[in-house]
Amino acid sequence: MAQKPIIYKSWREMPLMTASMGDTTINKTGSWRNVEPHHVEQVPPCSFRCPAGNDVVSFVTLAAEGRLEDAWRVLAQTTPFPGTCGRVCPHPCETECNRAQFGEAINIHSIERYIGDLFRDNPPELKRPPYTGKHIAVIGSGPAGLSCAYQLKMMGNAVTVFEAHSKPGGMLRVGIPDYRLPPDVLDGEIRRIVDMGVEILTDHRVGVDVSFQKLMDKFDAVFVAVGFTNSRPLGAEGDDGDDVIPGIEVLRRINLGMKDGVGDKPLVVGGGNTAMDVARSLLRNGRDVSVIYRRTRHEMPAITEEIEELIEEGIEITFLATPVEVIRENGRMTGVKCIRMKLGEPDDSGRRRPVPIEGSEYIIKADCVVTAIGETTDLTFLPDEILAKTSWNIPADELGRTLFSKMYAGGDVADGAGTVTAAIGYGRRAAIAIDASLRGEAIPENAAVSPSLRDRTGYVVPFEEINLAYFEELPRLEPVPLEIEPRIKTYDEVRQGFSEEDLTREARRCFSCGTCPACDNCFIFCPDVAVIKVKDDPDKFYIVDTEYCKGCGLCAAECPRSCIVMKSVR
Amino acid sequence: MEALSYLKHFKEVAEHEIMHSGHVACPGCGAAIAMRLALKTLGRDTMLIIPACCWAVIDGPFPYSACSVPVYQTAFETASITAGAVRAGLDATGKKGINVVAWAGDGGTFDIGFGQLSACAERNDNIIYVCYDNEAYMNTGIQRSSATPWGAWTSTTPGSDYKKERKKNLLEIMAAHRIPYAASTTVAYPDDLVLKFRKAMSIEGFRLIHIFSPCPPGHKALEKNSILEARYAVESRVFPLYEVEDGTKYTLSMDPPTRPVADYLDLQGRFRHLNKKERSFIQQAVDEEWTRLMHRMRIDEAL
Ligand SMILES: Cc1cc2nc3c(=O)[nH]c(=O)nc-3n(C[C@H](O)[C@H](O)[C@H](O)COP(=O)(O)OP(=O)(O)OC[C@H]3O[C@@H](n4cnc5c(N)ncnc54)[C@H](O)[C@@H]3O)c2cc1C
Ligand SMILES: Cc1ncc(C[n+]2csc(CCOP(=O)(O)OP(=O)(O)O)c2C)c(N)n1
Ligand code: SF4
Ligand SMILES: [Mg+2]
Repeated sequence: MAQKPIIYKSWREMPLMTASMGDTTINKTGSWRNVEPHHVEQVPPCSFRCPAGNDVVSFVTLAAEGRLEDAWRVLAQTTPFPGTCGRVCPHPCETECNRAQFGEAINIHSIERYIGDLFRDNPPELKRPPYTGKHIAVIGSGPAGLSCAYQLKMMGNAVTVFEAHSKPGGMLRVGIPDYRLPPDVLDGEIRRIVDMGVEILTDHRVGVDVSFQKLMDKFDAVFVAVGFTNSRPLGAEGDDGDDVIPGIEVLRRINLGMKDGVGDKPLVVGGGNTAMDVARSLLRNGRDVSVIYRRTRHEMPAITEEIEELIEEGIEITFLATPVEVIRENGRMTGVKCIRMKLGEPDDSGRRRPVPIEGSEYIIKADCVVTAIGETTDLTFLPDEILAKTSWNIPADELGRTLFSKMYAGGDVADGAGTVTAAIGYGRRAAIAIDASLRGEAIPENAAVSPSLRDRTGYVVPFEEINLAYFEELPRLEPVPLEIEPRIKTYDEVRQGFSEEDLTREARRCFSCGTCPACDNCFIFCPDVAVIKVKDDPDKFYIVDTEYCKGCGLCAAECPRSCIVMKSVR
Repeated sequence: MEALSYLKHFKEVAEHEIMHSGHVACPGCGAAIAMRLALKTLGRDTMLIIPACCWAVIDGPFPYSACSVPVYQTAFETASITAGAVRAGLDATGKKGINVVAWAGDGGTFDIGFGQLSACAERNDNIIYVCYDNEAYMNTGIQRSSATPWGAWTSTTPGSDYKKERKKNLLEIMAAHRIPYAASTTVAYPDDLVLKFRKAMSIEGFRLIHIFSPCPPGHKALEKNSILEARYAVESRVFPLYEVEDGTKYTLSMDPPTRPVADYLDLQGRFRHLNKKERSFIQQAVDEEWTRLMHRMRIDEAL
């Protein structure tokens, strides 16, 4: 059989080929999904925990980018005291920092300190609304009073601060010693408040130089922030001599440049910040000082670093003992009879109550006792009907509102929180409440939150939601403190600040929990090309193309910092 | 706000898109991410030759295509030879500067297309051969392939009949052909993937890129975990990332922090039936393979 010949054809003679005419965007795969990603910003634990309401993550992230003025502006929303807080705050933000579980917590306070210091002497201008015509009196120029005055001024009000002492600053001035908070830092930060137009009248003790009632009559509102200024008595036999001196009085004298009035071998009683500060100050004044505390180190209320530094400087603390009698010979103190204690059941504060061990008395040599066992309020300036409604404090809600109209209170005198940062937060919240009520407006619901955090979800990002694949485990940077030897002879600042290089390096370790820095992971990993990059919008980096997103959730899983949440499709 | 450069891990990934939305890969498909990243790197002067496999379907129903480059769909066993032929055609018509890319699944590569693959490699055909490896015949319902790992469930190795043979070592086989370039990569490391494609493009001759591609339905894994699975495959050393040049010069791309194989297995339902002993057998096998690979890397130094 003859083979069929092979016929070659030209391409023109070939049949039509199956070739694509269009692309698959015709196929709306978005209909497949039942969950979908939403780009959000959430609350990091540091910002959540800051009692002053500082937007920690934002200033740290901006510092990482080298945008230091913007970082300063973030802080300026909520605090006039970044340089101060960067030094003395016990930084609960760092305790909560998610980085603590991968490397170590970010050195937030050193970053805040750097930013505060950088702009202290020439702060950038802040926009302020026009004058409201309202004038508010603030009693006390501590952090609560000045924070309130600062915020009220920023909202367009006139403010006059009445301060009993010759210098403003409250415990920042007369309590905390210079080696922890150098006076030029405090002066500079207060100068900024004064330069904004806040009037501070020093040597004006309300109740003595001007009556409380007069302020209530003359001003549109009065904010009381008189702090805890009285020392609790020792409660030992013979504690009424002038060789038994309150610690805050000693600190006040030292801080205002007076003679400390303390003997050569003082015994400081207490375990809080006042005890630590007065003991370390007296060491610097050349005294043979020691500390006695009735519980153990574990229960000491002082800031941990403070205790560590005191011990480093060679000051001895006697634990589990307390003075019962001051011994004097010919009117001169020769020693203090103390009794040993043991820890019993927990008390109201949750700490175990110290109980004396009978017959364990012994004598510690001393020529002077400095008491630092707690402070109380002095509210004698208040009119009787108001005084009758106070107890250990002036009762006020978290916005500073008291039982009396026009009268607000905050800071230590209201909550006894005992930290600068809490006082700053309280002053700010009260300012928001005062301003709103004077304008006849409703108080914003999230007054406690920094304005730059208000658009975020309320969700606090836990460590488990950080995708560690995108971070390196790096150690925390810590500036080296002053050597022990020179430092215990002077009031030079003990703790040092960051160099600019370390500032950036440390800030870059931040996870930026809940804060999208446009890392592109969601864009890169989307199998459906459904995450679109947005150009030219400062607030939005990505949108999800809902026509095609199949809801796989890869973007949310690979987001390093919990900025994408999956929600079910309505 | 400018993106923070230090947080941008993936600096090499281009912004433009050549692959389109609307393709029909399952949600969370690793093969879709692989193609998207590969095309971003290969650019528009690329021709894809796709045999029967998921990607032949993913690309879309006629007359639509998810890839805005020419795609030639070919028979299951013929990806490499067709690509070689396309190159011959381009050469004959004097067309230069085009990436001819065969894009096949593991079934089409390790099994049915294997003879042709070997032939093309031996002839050193001037193509880039990509195997996106989801470790079974996914498109037809998760049948085992010679790329399916020991211990895995598939629809043809169900229950106690789980796969009892080890996965073929594709890169070793291809290296033995002494092809100019062979590399392994995966979708969890976009920069690695992009750089390997770039390197392949800069070389002439037969180049092979083996991409580990998580498949949520086939691996019985969560859709959102595809990248995690790929990352764990590398971190647990189940799927080492390396390159072999000219069949002899080995370079390890990543020496990952070691992670127990258990983390990798736990993400996938296809390993759920394994008991402790079987799981530790896998760990042992992975450790041995890794040691062998490390030795192989050093052979050249010894010679
Ligand atoms: C020694 C010491 C160390 C401390 N260290 C730290 C620390 O490191 N970190 C930290 O966070 N906190 C520390 N604290 C606590 C912190 O200082 C206080 O919690 C904080 O200052 C409270 O702020 P405030 O504004 O409520 O009151 P204060 O700072 O006490 O300010 C109250 C002001 O009101 C004035 N005043 C009182 N009565 C009148 C009146 N009738 N008329 C006019 N003015 C009046 C006072 O003179 C004072 O200036 C320390 C406290 C002390 C005592
Ligand atoms: C010769 C031949 N046999 C069987 C098939 C049916 N078939 C189409 S795709 C496929 C499996 C492909 O598996 P793989 O290459 O691993 O790609 P995947 O689908 O997993 O992506 C099979 C068996 C076919 N198209 N041609
Ligand atoms: S079956 Fe697997 S490989 Fe195939 S399209 Fe779905 S996810 Fe991708
Ligand atoms: Mg396959």
